[in-house]
Amino acid sequence: MHRWRPGYRHGHGGDLKLPAIERVAVIGAGVMGAGIAAQVANAGLPVSLLDIVPDGANRRNVIAENAIQRMLKTNPAPLMHTKNAKRITPGNIEDDLSVTADCDLIIEAVVENLEIKQDLYRRVEMNRKKNSIVTSNTSTIPLSHLIAEMPASFAHDFAITHFFNPPRYMRLLELVAGPQTRLEVIETLRDFGDRALGKTVVECKDTPGFIANRIGILWMESAVRFAIEDGFTVEEADAIVGRPMGIPKTGIFGLMDLVGIDLQPHVQRSMLALLPDKDLYRDLYQPSELVDQMIAEGYTGRKGKGGFYRLNRAGGKKVKEALDLETMTYRATIKPDLESIAAGKKGLRALVEHPDRGGQYAWRVLSHTLSYAAALVPDIADNVHAVDEAMRNGYAWKSGPFEMIDQLGPAWFANRLDQSNLEIPPLLSAVGNQTFYRTDDNNRLQFFGTDSTYHNVERPNGVLLLADIKRSTKRVDGNRSASIWDIGDGVMCLECHTKMNALDAGVFEIIGKAIQQIPVKGFHALIIYNEGDNFSVGVNLGLALFAANIAAWTEITKTVQQGQKIYKALKYAPFPVIAAPSGMALGGGCELLLHCDAVQAHAETYAGLVEVGVGLVPAWGGCKELLHRWSQHCEHPKGPMPAVTKVFETIGTAVVAKSAQEAKTYLFLQPDDGITMNRDRLLADAKERALALAENYSAPEKPEFHLPGQTGEVALTMAVDDLYRTGKATAHDVVVGKALAHVLSGGNTDMTETLSEDQVLGLERKAIVNLMKTTATLARMEHMLETGKPLRN
Amino acid sequence: MATYTAPLRDLRFVYEELFDAEEITALEAYRDATPDLVSAIYEEGAKLCQNELFPLNRSGDEEGCHFENGNVRTPEGFRSAYAAYVDGGWGGLNCAPEFGGQGMPHSVNIALEEMLCSANLSFSTYPGLTRGVYRALRVFGSEAIKQLYLPRLVSGKWSGTMCLTEPHCGTDLGLLRTRAEPTKQDNYRITGTKIFITAGEHDLTENIVHLVLARLPDSPKGIKGISLFLVPKFMPNEQGEPGVRNSVTCASIEHKMGIKASATCVMNLQEATGWLVGQPHRGMQAMFTMMNDARLGVGMQGLGIAEIAYQAAGAYAKERLQGRSITGTKQPDKPADPLIVHPDIRRILLTMRSFTEGARALTCWVARNLDFRDKAETEEARQAADDFVQVMTPIVKAFLTDYGFEVTNMGLQVHGGHGYIRETGVEQYVRDARITQIYEGANGIQALDLVGRKMPAHTGRYLRSFFHPVQRWIEEQSTNTELQPFVLSISKAFGRLQLATGHIAQAGLRNPDEGGAAASEYLRLFGLVALGYLWARMAQISIEKQGGDDNAFYAAKIVTARFFMERVLPQTGSLFAAIMSGSSTMMEFPDETF
Repeated sequence: MHRWRPGYRHGHGGDLKLPAIERVAVIGAGVMGAGIAAQVANAGLPVSLLDIVPDGANRRNVIAENAIQRMLKTNPAPLMHTKNAKRITPGNIEDDLSVTADCDLIIEAVVENLEIKQDLYRRVEMNRKKNSIVTSNTSTIPLSHLIAEMPASFAHDFAITHFFNPPRYMRLLELVAGPQTRLEVIETLRDFGDRALGKTVVECKDTPGFIANRIGILWMESAVRFAIEDGFTVEEADAIVGRPMGIPKTGIFGLMDLVGIDLQPHVQRSMLALLPDKDLYRDLYQPSELVDQMIAEGYTGRKGKGGFYRLNRAGGKKVKEALDLETMTYRATIKPDLESIAAGKKGLRALVEHPDRGGQYAWRVLSHTLSYAAALVPDIADNVHAVDEAMRNGYAWKSGPFEMIDQLGPAWFANRLDQSNLEIPPLLSAVGNQTFYRTDDNNRLQFFGTDSTYHNVERPNGVLLLADIKRSTKRVDGNRSASIWDIGDGVMCLECHTKMNALDAGVFEIIGKAIQQIPVKGFHALIIYNEGDNFSVGVNLGLALFAANIAAWTEITKTVQQGQKIYKALKYAPFPVIAAPSGMALGGGCELLLHCDAVQAHAETYAGLVEVGVGLVPAWGGCKELLHRWSQHCEHPKGPMPAVTKVFETIGTAVVAKSAQEAKTYLFLQPDDGITMNRDRLLADAKERALALAENYSAPEKPEFHLPGQTGEVALTMAVDDLYRTGKATAHDVVVGKALAHVLSGGNTDMTETLSEDQVLGLERKAIVNLMKTTATLARMEHMLETGKPLRN
Repeated sequence: MATYTAPLRDLRFVYEELFDAEEITALEAYRDATPDLVSAIYEEGAKLCQNELFPLNRSGDEEGCHFENGNVRTPEGFRSAYAAYVDGGWGGLNCAPEFGGQGMPHSVNIALEEMLCSANLSFSTYPGLTRGVYRALRVFGSEAIKQLYLPRLVSGKWSGTMCLTEPHCGTDLGLLRTRAEPTKQDNYRITGTKIFITAGEHDLTENIVHLVLARLPDSPKGIKGISLFLVPKFMPNEQGEPGVRNSVTCASIEHKMGIKASATCVMNLQEATGWLVGQPHRGMQAMFTMMNDARLGVGMQGLGIAEIAYQAAGAYAKERLQGRSITGTKQPDKPADPLIVHPDIRRILLTMRSFTEGARALTCWVARNLDFRDKAETEEARQAADDFVQVMTPIVKAFLTDYGFEVTNMGLQVHGGHGYIRETGVEQYVRDARITQIYEGANGIQALDLVGRKMPAHTGRYLRSFFHPVQRWIEEQSTNTELQPFVLSISKAFGRLQLATGHIAQAGLRNPDEGGAAASEYLRLFGLVALGYLWARMAQISIEKQGGDDNAFYAAKIVTARFFMERVLPQTGSLFAAIMSGSSTMMEFPDETF
């Protein structure tokens, strides 16, 4: 298991080693507390999860125990691997506060009540060891209130660590230090949050809502209020304030359903209690009868009877319905018909300049949100970059507020604010005709500071971003589908940049070029990596389907062969090849991982050989490599069948590992492959791995296969027939399953024969081309392309 | 004296031998369509066309239509010919029995369509659009409309029109202005002017049913704001008889290059009463149902007119004595040899013949798929058939009319100077054929439909219905030594089609102008490959059957197939080269320099 190792702080007078955090306690086992504990466990650390003892409970740890059990069933899973649950020790605050004596970090995530929190802090203070760190996950109570009346020793070791829900998946960690907080505490938390928990740590001032919620709540208020004022349907509003603004497609009403509509009044009240007198939020805020009524009747969103949307299952069919805001009744959703939605594809400016009601609505929401953000710097954060980081990582916006202002043009934006009788914030006046971000003469990214000069955007130590490299250097080679970059120290990086990073002939061409150029140009290693949402979703299914529809079997066979050849060339290249995936690595993308010497995976990597879902079998060496891995796996007894069966199950059910840790269970990743918690550190870690492997590198030996042949095929076929009889497999599942069984059993071989790698590849090739000739496979491919879902035919 | 002989033997060949008639009779709805019955139908149809309609073709062209006080009088003889057509029940040959039709398959009906078009293209336009109206009302009409109108349209007592075009909008129907105001009586008042309305007014039927595209008051702009209305010439009374005259009137008729006996009308609607057909603003959907039928119908016109041109040219080449054979006198007893001795004349005639017979096979293939689309038992089979019809519709329309026109022109060439004067009647075929390349969507539009809509639909699924059977057949026949010359030719041409398809799909995705630039040549390439495939299959059957009873027929088929493979199909090579050259020349040329 990988373990977090503390990093080094570059400060005055050389490097200072930070104290290690080796044991953690989380107090409060609600959704947030449990989720935080899970992420600590995901990072490989032991963690105690404590909550109160409910009145009359006979199991005193029942709350924490139930929370852990619940997390094992939650989807998306808070735990990266079910076995991580064992690292979480349940307890209660009456009997077990003494465990904090062994903890380096104690995170409080109890109910938002100052008295309860302070009471807890006093009890913790009696137990915890010297120099341990205490943090609160509060989202609404200022740090100054939390430490009031607490001893100085506590205040020195205290900070706010504000996680976002769900803690595993939301990348933002807001860090708030008080005036008394020790520097070492801040540095330790920053380092721990970054490396161990994989978060983007943003330092905030001790102001209400910190950064992300302060701006996010105003954005929500304006999006709801203007939508109702302007008579928008919920679908229309979400279609405007969602995708066109670079905001997740849940938009506003979908988001409220997701987080819980009943949360709104609480948030609103606490903000109103804390915000300064002249805050724009006070002007915008209106108590909503609509929301109150919904909450009163139990329409609290996805967790309740429904929200602004609901899935109506009446009549056996799932129909997505939306709430008609005028009549307060549900009706089938209506696809919004606003020209501004399409116009928004050309950019934010085209969206807000569009004359239709959608464009006007977009302007009203954005003008308020962005000018509010601009007015809050430096009150809530030191600089604009911190604000943008917070909104991107905390609310999953594609661009932060200042990046959006740059897209609109700051001068244009100021002018339009003026025309709309909205105030122009001083920072916006200061930036004038310039932009909030620019690149300097050396192509380094800089932001506009509150001192009206530009400052470099500093990456944390050890962070290497391809985006930065791309800004400052020219690619070594490339085409429309992929590029290769020199990332220093003799390491080359191959970046795929097709849609969803699907693999096509263009990508293969560049892989071929990289293999050729690395030795010639004095490079030592190749990293396959990109900064898109997904590593690769595999073959370009559309191209493959079209080719199949025009019966271009020769072309298809050639493409399969080309993929096999290029993956083999990667495997046997005279230099190490390291894949550094994040997000989905499916089908051909997963096969790519299987052919690399090593993988350095982002913890959030979702790998799988999912070909059967579209009626195919892996044919770029996926069957071959996975067979080889399982046959080498020492836990298995001798004889070929156990490995064949294991691979048959894995591919035959299209298993997708839900994390890098889980991927090791299926051998999509090897036991010694590395896992990086923080996405931003992935490339640097991969590079370190690559350089280590490059010393005395020799290419792997060619495997030989001993496969069962027909006897194995018959056994697997019987299993498939059984599934069909019991209704667990469809007619075409049987066809695909049998094709897979034939490949994995080695075709017409037997145990005494030795099959070469190329012979297994030949079986894969034949199987996939034959499957593509079936109508049912083509129907699966078409269905996947058109709906994104597998067809069960 | 010109004659027309319906190609009954060849029609039977495609229905029974090239394709499996039992696949049609296996469908419950068509179990009566046995080869025997179909053969009898063909013969009866041939009689009508040969004896009643063909003799009126030339006279109708000479006389034209008469516009008198808002009425149109068709040429002499048309009324009685139409009566014979109605008496024979021909209008409802492939219509549903529940509305008085004969319930025959489309694949039988197209033979009649071809014969009608060969015998008298102008005449065929009167009943021609009734079929489209029938289909649109069947799919989109309310129950009341269906009960009232369909039996009368099926019997041919009433006829139909499609009113789309307006003075300022033809291809681009989004610009349409005719408006429809709702009334309190659940109907609409429709006002506007429609032009180029085929059979908009005439004296053949007691009533005319217009399907009119118009806009409702609250309609969205463009093509999404158009609705379809039914506007009868006479409002049916309670007995369903023509009653009060509706205010839809003919303002004038056009003077045209060809099909002069077909009335092409300017129609004025002045608050004419109409009923909505289908959903508001969804008129284009209903219209396309009708239009797709009509497009296949126009393709049949291309074939029909080519057939009569071929028959005339063949007869003339055999009887016209002029010059001597270049390899020595062939008929010393005559003052000169007939034209038929000359290789170039034979080249022209075989080019014509290999087209008509190939096209006949193609139209039957498409019509069979209409049958499967409507009546196949599984959804999967119905969809596969519909896919095929979708992709082949623009090809049938454009390829058959472009090529059909060329064939009429070739026929004229065989006649030399006598073809150019009116007396022989063959210049009429050239003039009549010309419109088929234009109406129901000009052929350039058909090519765009193929490349821009049909090709990318469902990631190429429509194409599968053609490409897979062809590829499979080539693979199956790869070891058939006797057939090798045919298999090699078609597999080469098919390979070009595959490459061109893949190329256009990708290039067009990046730059739609690439697709647009390649479209017309691609459509022709596709059409040639389709004919090539069918010729290879016809050769296969004929090789198996030669030496038997009908040896001359099969021997001719084999040689014609060889001719097509050797002399026509190689055009795919030059089309392929042109397609692959891309759009740069035409798109770089400055507008003002044209």
